[in-house]
Amino acid sequence: MATGVRRHQTFVFAVALTAVVGCLAVLAAAQSAETPRRGGVLLAAIGADAPSLDPHQEQTFATLQPVSPLYSTLLQIDPYSYPSIIGDVASEWKISPDGLLYTFKIRPGIRFHDSSPLTSADVKASYDKILFPPEGVRSIRKHHYSAVESVEAPDPSTVLFKLKFPSASLLTNLASPWNVIFPKKYLDKDPNHFKSNVMGSGPFRFKSYTRGSSFEGERNPDYFVKDRPHLNGYKYFISTETSVRAAAVRSGRAYVEFRDLPMAEVEAIRKQLGDKVMVQQTPFVIHFDIAINNTAKPFSDIRVRKALNLGIDRYTAGRVLYPLTGLRDVGAFTRPGTEWAMAPAELEKFAGFGRDAEKNRAEARRLLAEAGYPNGFKVVLKNRNIKLPYQDWAVYVIQEWRKIGVEAEHRPLETAAWYADGRDQGSFEVVVFPTGHFVDDPDALLAPFITGSSQNWGRFSNPGIDDLYDRQARTLDPVERRKLVIDLQKIVLEQAYHIPGLWWSRNVVHWAKMKNWVAPPSHFTNQKLQDVWLSED
Amino acid sequence: MATNIELAHASASATLAPRRSFAEVAARFVRTKPLGAAGAVIILGMLFLAVFAQILAPYDPYVGDYGLQFARPSAEHWFGTDEFGRDVLSRIMYGARIALFVGFFASFIGCTIGALLGVVSAYWGGRVDLLLERLMDILLAFPQLILALAIASILGPAVQNVVIAISIPVIPRVARVVRAAALSVKENVYVEAVQALGASRRRVILQHIIPNVTAPYIIMLTAQLGAAILAEAALSYLGLGAAEPTPSWGLMLSGSAPSYAEKAPWIALFPGIAISLGVFGFNLFGDSLRDALDPKLRKG
Repeated sequence: MATGVRRHQTFVFAVALTAVVGCLAVLAAAQSAETPRRGGVLLAAIGADAPSLDPHQEQTFATLQPVSPLYSTLLQIDPYSYPSIIGDVASEWKISPDGLLYTFKIRPGIRFHDSSPLTSADVKASYDKILFPPEGVRSIRKHHYSAVESVEAPDPSTVLFKLKFPSASLLTNLASPWNVIFPKKYLDKDPNHFKSNVMGSGPFRFKSYTRGSSFEGERNPDYFVKDRPHLNGYKYFISTETSVRAAAVRSGRAYVEFRDLPMAEVEAIRKQLGDKVMVQQTPFVIHFDIAINNTAKPFSDIRVRKALNLGIDRYTAGRVLYPLTGLRDVGAFTRPGTEWAMAPAELEKFAGFGRDAEKNRAEARRLLAEAGYPNGFKVVLKNRNIKLPYQDWAVYVIQEWRKIGVEAEHRPLETAAWYADGRDQGSFEVVVFPTGHFVDDPDALLAPFITGSSQNWGRFSNPGIDDLYDRQARTLDPVERRKLVIDLQKIVLEQAYHIPGLWWSRNVVHWAKMKNWVAPPSHFTNQKLQDVWLSED
Repeated sequence: MATNIELAHASASATLAPRRSFAEVAARFVRTKPLGAAGAVIILGMLFLAVFAQILAPYDPYVGDYGLQFARPSAEHWFGTDEFGRDVLSRIMYGARIALFVGFFASFIGCTIGALLGVVSAYWGGRVDLLLERLMDILLAFPQLILALAIASILGPAVQNVVIAISIPVIPRVARVVRAAALSVKENVYVEAVQALGASRRRVILQHIIPNVTAPYIIMLTAQLGAAILAEAALSYLGLGAAEPTPSWGLMLSGSAPSYAEKAPWIALFPGIAISLGVFGFNLFGDSLRDALDPKLRKG
């Protein structure tokens, strides 16, 4: 009996010991899973090469993703709580009661990678370059800051933004990942210095760049955020081929493709690698359109522009292209489902948004005949030489236009040439044109339609649009502002200045060992990688 | 005297030997070179498809049936459909046009310019020869496809640019072969005779040298055709050839095929077979033609 009790006690002890050891092991495992590991190089694949390295002057992920980790911005979007705003070099800020003065305090002890201190003078110089670009310097987003009268730096740790009128969007747009802080001393010598050079104060320092091949950064040991970054470095491999980037992720040569991969590739990767990979799916604040050169014949004729709009069945496009590219949602120029979007019933009244595709095509053919093109015409559709989703979108549009007699020759161009022809020189008839921003902000999303904007590739001018843009930027009441935003979009649609396409959605597939990164609905933000870590090499 | 008359008759009968008809030549070619004949059948088949694609293709190669994306090969779509629901068979039929257009034009332009430079180089000799040959050396220093790639990337993606890009690397190769043949022809007595009679350089080249170097020219032309088709496919595969939605065999392999090869293998399989078959046909035919026209390889 005693032996039996002893055996029972031994059994209970063994079970208890096993339970305790098990719990400790689980806790340790949980702890090790949650405790960031220092070291490792994050390998990423990217779908294009940068036309230049200056984010102020560019509008492509090909520039921003590789250089973002090298720079700081005044404010930033919270990596874990999109679209909340947190400070970056600014530790605190306040807005005057009349909304006309923004005061920012700069964190002390921030140094650029050449060891020089970052002060308010650098912030002012960077914003002056964006807001008031000197001759020969392009500023893609200066219209987003039309409210700002001046930027001042009264002392090394204070920056003042003085406004002409209160702005609802300014604080958000000051968190733009594009507005990186450059050292003033280089800008003073040459405002275009950073098109081919890098000098920031971000979590990583520049290591190497081989055009068309790779871009590398290494850990900045003097980064102003304590114990960051966790990684020793990062490296982007450049390939315009979707299948090559997918294969890189599949083989582990890249741990992530930050922009997007088609569903078929994502499924194939998930099928092969199982729980070694994670997929983050989000909407995307970017839509793929066709810009029309309104200054060239026959596109100066509204009937031709309307016919081109009517010739595209967008609802079928969303169904066909979503599994191939992620292009899905039909909408105008503000993201469907957001507070700024037009109601579907309202949208359906405009050319190309009616549900009856055959009726739309018949109307398109009638308009073309009326404009003197009863048999259609030939047109060159310029594009960027990136398959996803640029070329797939173009193939769909070309197929659709054939049905109304418009024969489009597809001409894909290398990124720099596509920008040169589309944005800089207007050397095109129609061109594939994406519009996106890091947040759903009307100032940014509607800037491509105002006179003289470098984002207005269609080169049209309408005083009504300019007036509405100006008024919505000044309106603080959301209801009133929404009305102005909708009215502006109606003019663009009525005049068919531009061909809206589809809103994108995002599939980011990454190895599970890449920790602490959350995909926001924009591939422009949360690219600094300061909190990302690798659980293993 | 009688002997002289007999000799004259014999000579006359030799020169007046009856010429073989095309049918006889073709029949002899089929009998002696069955592989070459098989190549010719493939080429004629391609040519037939290319010319009559509009009649033969069951569907418009540019417009897809959105309800039939990635349809398996079936009675309606023998080779299946691609990611836009476009009929793969129709696209292959139309693709033969691009392959043959680029193949013929690139080979013809490259071989003709190369042959002319080879003849000029051989006949003129001296500094002209030295200059042209060094130029050819420079071009020959680059592998054929690498040079075509470089030229295509400078010119940009378009079918006419592919023709230029493929034809330029052909020039030095043909120029070398034709120069060697022309140097040999140039030393013949009849050339010296017409020179002695005061014939101009132009007349000597056009009437006496070029007709005698046509055999190596034709051999090079057929040999380069297969290579040109392959180069077009390679350039399109690399995004430097025809652009979507043009039905080009190389482009069909590169576009969506790598992404969907597991889900819809027919998208990659049939264009791949078409390229292989086309190049195989031209190579078989070219080899046999070389054997038939080259006196050193001719039997008897």
